[in-house]
Amino acid sequence: MVVRPYNEELKYLEKISDCCWRIKKEFQPNMKVEGCFYVNSRLERLMLEELKNSCRPGAVGGFLPGVKQIANVAALPGIVGRSIGLPDIHSGYGFAIGNMAAFDMNDPTSIVSPGGVGFDINCGVRLLRTNLFEKDVQPVKEQLAQSLFDHIPVGVGSKGIIPMNAHDLEEALEMGMDWSLREGYVWAEDKEHCEEYGRMLNADPSKVSLRAKKRGLPQLGTLGAGNHYAEIQIVDEIYDKWSASKMGIEEKGQVCVMIHSGSRGFGHQVATDALVQMEKAMKRDQIETNDRQLACARINSQEGQDYLKAMAAAANFAWVNRSSMTFLTRQAFAKMFTTTPDDLDMHVIYDVSHNIAKVENHIVNGREKQLLVHRKGSTRAFPPHHPLIPVDYQLTGQPVLVGGTMGTCSYVLTGTEKGMNETFGSTCHGAGRALSRAKSRRNLDYKDVLEKLEEMGIAIRVASPKLVMEEAPESYKDVTDVVDTCHIAGISKKCIKLRPIAVIKG
Amino acid sequence: MLKLKLEALEHPAPNNVDVNDRKVFASTILWLEDQKIRQYKIEDRVDLRKVDRLDIWEQAYENYKEDLGMPQFQTPLEEITWLLGYAIRLEFLDSPDNYKTINSIEVSKEQNKSLAPSIQAENFFDNMDFNHKDFISGVRALANKLKVPHHSNHLIQLEAIARIVHERLSPSAKNRQAITGTPFPFEKGNDVVSDDPALDYPVRILRLLQIQSLRQLQTKINETIVAVQDLTANPKTDTKLGKVGR
Repeated sequence: MVVRPYNEELKYLEKISDCCWRIKKEFQPNMKVEGCFYVNSRLERLMLEELKNSCRPGAVGGFLPGVKQIANVAALPGIVGRSIGLPDIHSGYGFAIGNMAAFDMNDPTSIVSPGGVGFDINCGVRLLRTNLFEKDVQPVKEQLAQSLFDHIPVGVGSKGIIPMNAHDLEEALEMGMDWSLREGYVWAEDKEHCEEYGRMLNADPSKVSLRAKKRGLPQLGTLGAGNHYAEIQIVDEIYDKWSASKMGIEEKGQVCVMIHSGSRGFGHQVATDALVQMEKAMKRDQIETNDRQLACARINSQEGQDYLKAMAAAANFAWVNRSSMTFLTRQAFAKMFTTTPDDLDMHVIYDVSHNIAKVENHIVNGREKQLLVHRKGSTRAFPPHHPLIPVDYQLTGQPVLVGGTMGTCSYVLTGTEKGMNETFGSTCHGAGRALSRAKSRRNLDYKDVLEKLEEMGIAIRVASPKLVMEEAPESYKDVTDVVDTCHIAGISKKCIKLRPIAVIKG
Repeated sequence: MLKLKLEALEHPAPNNVDVNDRKVFASTILWLEDQKIRQYKIEDRVDLRKVDRLDIWEQAYENYKEDLGMPQFQTPLEEITWLLGYAIRLEFLDSPDNYKTINSIEVSKEQNKSLAPSIQAENFFDNMDFNHKDFISGVRALANKLKVPHHSNHLIQLEAIARIVHERLSPSAKNRQAITGTPFPFEKGNDVVSDDPALDYPVRILRLLQIQSLRQLQTKINETIVAVQDLTANPKTDTKLGKVGR
């Protein structure tokens, strides 16, 4: 890696608009395309500070700064367009979280990288609406939070309450949400309102190690730990009234439920297994990268194909997982209000994946190309009339669900034409970490964090309170800054703001 | 002719009646008397039955002809022809109403059908002249009534009429619940079409129609899934399995 003084480094960065920076090709060796990142003034400061810190003499260990990671991704074989950093970007394993990159499927040297998907494969957000209003829920929010906590197993090492055996798991890995539908856990309309219709067709459970399956089986239908949560939220602001009405959100004060979860230990194991295989493939095919963490394999190689099939199985796992939790949430609400989920109109508004690689068609330099689009900590945001979005959202553009952090707001955005052209139809995914987990643990006290939430009137149920400070709002960038940057840049459009009144966490 | 008459009387072997074979002739006469004519009582037919002893039978046949009042004929063919005609007449007189409707036109139709199976025009529209001036003026009048805009091709106009009738006036459309909720102002969507209103407006309408047909398809898909779920769904939870946190 090139190490230069901070002032030297800045010469390779150029601000090209109010909220977009260009990373020139000479910033890192072998860059095939330029990089870019979207930030507003506050996020810009965080971004550049991170770079500055890494330029200090003797700065070693930890991940590379986000800017460097974007540039290293731009040096991967087969990349097209630009390597794009979204406003919530922060350093991660190989790829920064909040980095999207697309690779040409017709270029035989193009690669797929597990680091570009992330360890929590198909981590994503699902939003359910209800016909309840804040006044219906406020008086019972503690009981409701407890009821949700009782229904949805949370935390490290939690186990699901939906009976599953090994055979069920195999079927679920292959069928994704179709399995949940067949077994009757979800509604037909849920599938309609889910990215990929809740099933990746190329999933092949035989490409998944026994170890991953063993880890995954008991965890299906559990929320997990880390930044995952289930929240009862209130519509706080409607920016785009008619898009919101298309999503069944008519007025401020309406109650929604957001579920943020992924593929648990299963996806983690799939990614770990793939990294081992890919190191071998890199040696064999002589693939050079700037960073050892950017392990990858050619898309057409055995390792590349095996990974894509296993990743698809993990994606299906995550959809079944979120579907099971949808079922449990509906049960909890129905019991609480002694009615049925149907009468509560508990429809899925949408379900997005923000850690995934997908084959998509995009226009590159005026020509349609088939690309493998990696989105790590980045949400797909397709514009109106795109054939891959549900018919109900053809006029509004795809809903983009951006989960905030514990105690902060969440947003619903919609995809735009500009985003399709500039960022391969991608936008931010959440707040994005500002402090590392270790730093958060050192600097914050979990009691303070919980007290603060209580002061804000948020009911909270946590499985492992001592980990709460890792997820405290102070550890994250301000989600509003992130969302506003996307809105101003035009890569997605603000639609609804949601604020939490109850949080269930791992 | 002989054969046709035998067929009409439902003779068991109309092809094998040889009137010149006296024995066959005799048994055919006996069959006619037994089955159709019934001039004698059964016990009085004894001599006519003796077809194996033609001498006795010939005598009985002479008496039979006299009793029936058959005119004098020269040949056995004439005799049997008269007898068949007589039998057919008796048969007809048993229930003349059965044959009332049969006339030459019906019969010829029946025969044509058996020869070359023609396609029966079930849909009377098939035989209609869609370019007849009466038809065109009918379409125009209907279009005026339903406020369908004019199109130079009246058939396209008719399609639009059919659609309006199906969407708005059919019994299923009339019983449909009114759509509730806020109307969606389609001319200011998130989608960019064109600055030229002459292009923008029709493109938006086309897109709405496309979305409508997609919605119908998706609804059918959902209905199918729900129908299958009725057979397969059995959601279970077992809280004993649950374990929260570590």
